[in-house]
Amino acid sequence: MKNKLFEKYFVFSPYFWLVLFFFIPLAIIFKISISVSEWGMPPYQDIFLFDNGFKINTTFENYVYIFSDYYYIGSFVNSLILALISTFFCLLIGFPLAFYIATSNIRLRNILLVLVVIPFWSSFLLRVYAWKIILQNNGILNVILLNLGITSEPLQLLYNQYAVIMGIVYTYLPLMILPLYGYLNKFDLNLIEASKDLGLNRIKTFFKVILPLSVPGIVAGSLLVFIPVVGEFIIPEMLGGSDRLYYGKILWEEFFVNRNWPGASALAFSGIIILVLPIVIFQILYSRWSEKNEI
Amino acid sequence: MDNNFLVIENISKSFGDNKVLENINLNISKSEFFGLLGSSGSGKTTLLRILGGFEKPDTGRVILDGMDITNLEPFDRPLNYMFQSYALFPHLNVFNNLAFGIKENFTQKEIEINVRNIAELLSIEHLLNRRIKQLSGGEQQRVALGRCLIKKPKLLLLDEPLAALDKKLRSKTQLELTTLQKKLKITFVFVTHDQEEAMSLSDRMAIMKNGLILECSSPEEIYENPKSLYTANFIGIANIIEIYKKDENFYSDDLGINFKLNKELKNTKTNILLRPEKIKIQSINNLKTSSFNSFSGEILEKSYLGSFTRYEIKIKSMIISVLDQNFNSNSNYNFPKGEKVICSWESESIKVLED
Repeated sequence: MKNKLFEKYFVFSPYFWLVLFFFIPLAIIFKISISVSEWGMPPYQDIFLFDNGFKINTTFENYVYIFSDYYYIGSFVNSLILALISTFFCLLIGFPLAFYIATSNIRLRNILLVLVVIPFWSSFLLRVYAWKIILQNNGILNVILLNLGITSEPLQLLYNQYAVIMGIVYTYLPLMILPLYGYLNKFDLNLIEASKDLGLNRIKTFFKVILPLSVPGIVAGSLLVFIPVVGEFIIPEMLGGSDRLYYGKILWEEFFVNRNWPGASALAFSGIIILVLPIVIFQILYSRWSEKNEI
Repeated sequence: MDNNFLVIENISKSFGDNKVLENINLNISKSEFFGLLGSSGSGKTTLLRILGGFEKPDTGRVILDGMDITNLEPFDRPLNYMFQSYALFPHLNVFNNLAFGIKENFTQKEIEINVRNIAELLSIEHLLNRRIKQLSGGEQQRVALGRCLIKKPKLLLLDEPLAALDKKLRSKTQLELTTLQKKLKITFVFVTHDQEEAMSLSDRMAIMKNGLILECSSPEEIYENPKSLYTANFIGIANIIEIYKKDENFYSDDLGINFKLNKELKNTKTNILLRPEKIKIQSINNLKTSSFNSFSGEILEKSYLGSFTRYEIKIKSMIISVLDQNFNSNSNYNFPKGEKVICSWESESIKVLED
């Protein structure tokens, strides 16, 4: 009986986790986002006032403010585009790598998997900083290019959106490779041989057999890259320039520079809703589809 | 008959230091049902995969219907390969699995007609809209077969075609497969580790061991007149007895009896094969022991197998297997355990293994 009770709670532990670390913080952010801002600490008024009898003190001004200024919406759109492009490149590089790892022999496979994971053992900040050193005006890359005579003066490689994309693809690539590998690992290689045997060349086999059967791995890897990249703050901050503003950076400025907590919370809450709702809907539709197609 | 339809010439293959195939030569005729029989590690599957184009041989050539296909990719070869796991596409239904190989070059209408025809041939018309996971093992096997046959290949390669089926279904499918092959007149080459399967399906078969072909002949020939000790033991039950020349006859120390052979021997000492069903078993009261080709022994084990009974008979230091057909429905006809019996055989039944 005691064991059963334990099992019951154990099964629900992910939900406790979700409530404790997702829904409660989300509720707090929502609460701040509908508060009236003021100068002080904390920089917003309580939503329940008891001075002259009970009074609810909420406002949607913060949302109106966020959505009426393209500065905020634009940064969110920039982040979405950044996430899309980064996810695309992660997939483009990650898929062949994951497929190669999954189909190589066990010894090579383990070595390659360790190589994929090794960057996680060092500080993320340090790794991004290293790219700064490589890409800066008197950095390794420019020195090589100058000495080879390919360019006559240093190229501006740093502080633009391309450096940001590169940094993100570099950082998030393992998050694409690992779920893809996990899925491709179970891939029956006879299916590829069967397809070739039935007359399809490599390219057609890829599009008719490998790709459709990899959809679950592609979806998992893409979501794992896409979602955090939308809110990514450090990489655009370190490698990016003033040519593009991203959501994570605006959020940070709104909280810590402008000390507009209600506005920042409204921005954060809107971002989560805009991001999470379509993904939840997508997941529901996708699981129905994959159930129907038995993939 | 043109026995140069499929020519396998000096094929060798190594994986690292491991020699998997050594100088394989085979000629297979058009419309032949050819079996490659061997235990695991004999190289039979590697040979089949070389025919399919999934492995490249280190040396040698494969010629199919006059065309050298050794260096062709699988998708350029006019043959098809049926995988042991069937390798059906899980994301497609039965119709699209069957149509997979012909979608490229056919119109929608032609595809429809072809799929219907092949489904009818294999009696799977009712399954066309099913998904692969909804099929039984036997149904999957038919779809895998249909997916290959729809391409009208010159040669069909089958890797353990019946291994995944249960025993009852297997014998039924065996019969269907031979009927189908004779009807379509497509050359079939298949791989199996099951000697019964090899014997019942093959027109001719090759026995493989350690990357070599030991023997290649009809199942009857291989069973009745095996050339090597390995084949004799590998196919069916075998009593192997060592004999040597003594005076006019041959003598076995193990049995303590004389053998009379109806042919001359090159060596003075050799192994002979005596198949268990060739031995006649009689009650000791009926007969005197003859001076050769017969012995008296004691029944050590007995297993009743329905159509026949298998006895293990002990004589001196050896145990001889005997299969006795149950002619009589009277169960008393069987000899009880521990009974003394007389075993005898014809001189022609003794097969000399000279290797």
